Amino acid sequence: MVKISHSTKTGSHHWLMQRISAIALIPLILWLVLSLVQIAQDPQSYLPVFFAYPLNAVMGILLIIASMYHGSLGMRVIIEDYISNKTKMHFYIMLVHFISITTAVAGVVAIIRLHLIG
Amino acid sequence: MTDEKHKSTKKTIGSPTSPHLQIYKWNISSLTSIAHRFTGVVLYFSIIFIVWYIIYYAYQINPAESAETCDCPLKKIFDSLFSLAAIGVTFSLYYHFANGIRHLFWDIGKGFDVKTARKTGYLTLFIALLLTIITFAIVIYLKLW
Repeated sequence: MVKISHSTKTGSHHWLMQRISAIALIPLILWLVLSLVQIAQDPQSYLPVFFAYPLNAVMGILLIIASMYHGSLGMRVIIEDYISNKTKMHFYIMLVHFISITTAVAGVVAIIRLHLIG
Repeated sequence: MTDEKHKSTKKTIGSPTSPHLQIYKWNISSLTSIAHRFTGVVLYFSIIFIVWYIIYYAYQINPAESAETCDCPLKKIFDSLFSLAAIGVTFSLYYHFANGIRHLFWDIGKGFDVKTARKTGYLTLFIALLLTIITFAIVIYLKLW
């Protein structure tokens, strides 16, 4: 019988979440590219009020959360593949989580502020 | 004897790391695979940078009037470096997007045979390059640089 360790369980969960966040990112990236095309035409007038529109604020927040989640899962896999020292490996994974979560939360707060003052 | 030798080398090597990029012969499959990782890392750090720029922008006294007007030489160097980085990040985004969709098709069991995988590999590279060229053609056309 195959002994299932803890890491095997979380590994398959991460694998699935990596795919789910990837699918979520498809429309969000399309929105980002289309938004940038629109902003590019007149940055001075579009940029300051960009997040004043509810759709842009919501999509922006979702994009930050989904990309930071997807990114930290991806970085985790790379760290696990290339860093063999277990202590260092866990340190870097924690560091990536810390940076990702802090960036995401601060980014969401900033977009809410831009939404309210825009 | 050989078994003992094998054991001792195993001990000295220690825990393996993968993939061993230096010892493989390059082909389209390995190139697109490592490029997916590399562009992923580029995008991870780019998004962090961009998000912190948005945070900085949001907490200026009046974001609407924050257009940087400094004409110092250091800013010009930064701007040109920025433009170069922008090309890299744009390519990374398109590439990771296209190759990510390729990966999702593999996950549902489609396009896995060697011939199709090679074809879609070249296709993702071509799409990413084409979209990057189109993007910067638009940027130059709109005189944003």
